[in-house]
Amino acid sequence: MVNVLKNKSKNSPSPVKLSSPHLLAIEGMQKSEIEELLDRADYFANLDKHSNTKILSGYVILNVFFENSTRTRVSFELAARRLGAEVINISLINSSIKKGESLLDTASTLNAMRPDLLIVRHPHSGAPLLFADYLNCSIINAGDGRHEHPTQALLDALTIRRRVGFLEGLKISICGDIANSRVARSNIHLLTTMGAEVRCVAPPTLMPSSLENLGVKCFYKMKEGIKDADVVMLLRLQNERMSGTENPSEREYFKFFGLDENKLSFANSNAVIMHPGPMNRGVEIASVLADDTNRSLIKTQVEMGVAVRMSIIEALNHTKYKFLKK
Amino acid sequence: MTYTVFKSVQVCNPVTNFNEISDVIIHNDKIISISKKFNKKAIKGDNKVIFYDCNGLIMAPGIVDMRVNLGKTENLELTQEIAIKNGITSMVILPNQTPKLNNPSIIDHIQRQSENSMLTKVRVYGAATKDDQGLEISELGLMSEMGAVGFTNGNKSIKNSLVMRRLMSYASMIDRPIIQHAEDDDLSGLTQASTTSIKGEMNEGEISTRLGLIGIPSCAEVIMIERDIRLAELTGAHYHIAHVSTRDGVDVIRKAKKKGLNITCDTAPPYFSLNETSLLTYDTSYKLSPPLRTDEDRLAIIEGIQDGTIDAIASDHRARSKDTKIQPFSAASIGAAGIETLFFLTLELVHKKIINLSQAISMITINPTKILKIKEPALLENETATFIIFDKNYKHQINKNELKTSPTPFNGRQVKGKILSTFINGNPSYVNPILKEKIIK
Repeated sequence: MVNVLKNKSKNSPSPVKLSSPHLLAIEGMQKSEIEELLDRADYFANLDKHSNTKILSGYVILNVFFENSTRTRVSFELAARRLGAEVINISLINSSIKKGESLLDTASTLNAMRPDLLIVRHPHSGAPLLFADYLNCSIINAGDGRHEHPTQALLDALTIRRRVGFLEGLKISICGDIANSRVARSNIHLLTTMGAEVRCVAPPTLMPSSLENLGVKCFYKMKEGIKDADVVMLLRLQNERMSGTENPSEREYFKFFGLDENKLSFANSNAVIMHPGPMNRGVEIASVLADDTNRSLIKTQVEMGVAVRMSIIEALNHTKYKFLKK
Repeated sequence: MTYTVFKSVQVCNPVTNFNEISDVIIHNDKIISISKKFNKKAIKGDNKVIFYDCNGLIMAPGIVDMRVNLGKTENLELTQEIAIKNGITSMVILPNQTPKLNNPSIIDHIQRQSENSMLTKVRVYGAATKDDQGLEISELGLMSEMGAVGFTNGNKSIKNSLVMRRLMSYASMIDRPIIQHAEDDDLSGLTQASTTSIKGEMNEGEISTRLGLIGIPSCAEVIMIERDIRLAELTGAHYHIAHVSTRDGVDVIRKAKKKGLNITCDTAPPYFSLNETSLLTYDTSYKLSPPLRTDEDRLAIIEGIQDGTIDAIASDHRARSKDTKIQPFSAASIGAAGIETLFFLTLELVHKKIINLSQAISMITINPTKILKIKEPALLENETATFIIFDKNYKHQINKNELKTSPTPFNGRQVKGKILSTFINGNPSYVNPILKEKIIK
């Protein structure tokens, strides 16, 4: 094992310093910050997984999940471990909430354990902001309600960048349950900041109000929305956040919004397919496309998740110290 | 017995359009003289006389706050004590508190319990329907005999059209208004109560999209108002819309009033002072019902105040404990305190030259009494000495830590105006130290 981080070559970007000690949202982030995070993540992604990247030994991370998650939780854990940090997983789905403990009490209990970083997933939009206000450690938003999922957007961007080479000017169509999707919001903010042309495609019942004001074009027909697209990004139908009035049935959804060969033929012939997972085959995407290794980047997305999260955890470590030293 | 003389005070009586610098003398519980020149003859015998130098100060009728929500955590007497310090001499409380004000004996009980000649007078609205389902009408007549001044389901709308029709018909027989929280709660997602993740949380629009919060479309308000106006037309009832918050709501009310229907409405300071952009940091002190709307809506509320479409301003006081507000936005309680900020936020409309002083005073004093057909002491000779004295130009900053009720959506706001004294039935229920210094020795 070689400690590669100590042998900096000209091509290895240095750890990023952010303007905030937290990563709560993509909205408001600078283009340069995003670029630096992606460069650093790109570097981590290129490393042999046995390379010694254990630069954060003694750094304590709490992975606090108030909502079910497998891929995000494991991805963060793996990123933390590859950096040599101590990571503890805490699942609080219904537990303290059901016991009547307020979120703030939970937060101050966790704070008393003096973590360096808290990774939070919560079903309520804005909850990580509350943690950031009351805890004295860095916070990463691992998905809050319908608000944002910043690390997902960063890993999506890295995935696209590694495949296509750049983001600026790309035509990217985000399709599906936009209204309930934090992934969509983070991606919209990130991709528009990076200069991509973002389109959103959804039935009007799943299109949030005044979405155009976020700098995107809205479409209600797949063929129009993905016409000449370079990237087709699909979203999961979040039935758990619906009331039965948004979508008549899965088969109707598939007919109009599910990605199949026919609809995809309207996109750029090299267009790639992405999905943040977990995906519903035959609802959002035809199985054959999901498994098409030439066009589907779904597995690469998962892989890039670890690299991106390493880059962010490392950056927050640097940033936090910068803040404390002030 | 003592005489109290307020020298050179600007008496502002919106009922008689009287607005002049005068000397006011009170004796026992009565105003015995309001005159340009000090009326020496009014003071008889060798009684003690207290002179206040009120140069630059204004005397007006006591504030009538027609919408106060006590909830269950608040103590009625404590609220009265806070209200009196803020110039509120009379307030009307909503029925959806614990216990629910849905029968004559509880209404009688609340009024007796709160009776105190030194404190704010408490009146009550009766619950329009017997329970939360809103399907059976309450004993409007009996509650009315016990003093209920109107009927409402508080912060829930009266949803069923047939029930609303019957309520209006019946209430018109006993000459009482039906007060509606106008919101189509299906549209605002509030009836989907089984899961919090689809409940409306804020105004629907770009901001709700950015924040990932569930939007309540502004048409949820006007749809209910439009339906109710039809029913008011059908039944001839007096229909009152509480806390109007949207442009469309104001427009529809304006038209109905032009038609000559017996319709009145009020709004609350947040709806003419703030807009939805305040929510951008997920600050739960702005989580209100109805939600803060767009700036266009806010300006329409101001227009409605200017042209008289909106009759009154109420505090819409709904104090909440800090515990229920230090929560993620979706989980936080709805509502904010208002009795401590009602006065100077209303006065802000005068300082911004939107309405004149007399109009502003009317909206928080005489207009609510007209709507509810209640009698409050007028600022006239031989009337009961219930009034406020204030400094219109006293500059200060609202500080949430100095307020007795929480939360406030106005923390940090620079305002002008301060209540210096509240007299009730001739009693100096509240005298600010600033006024005490103005006693002429």
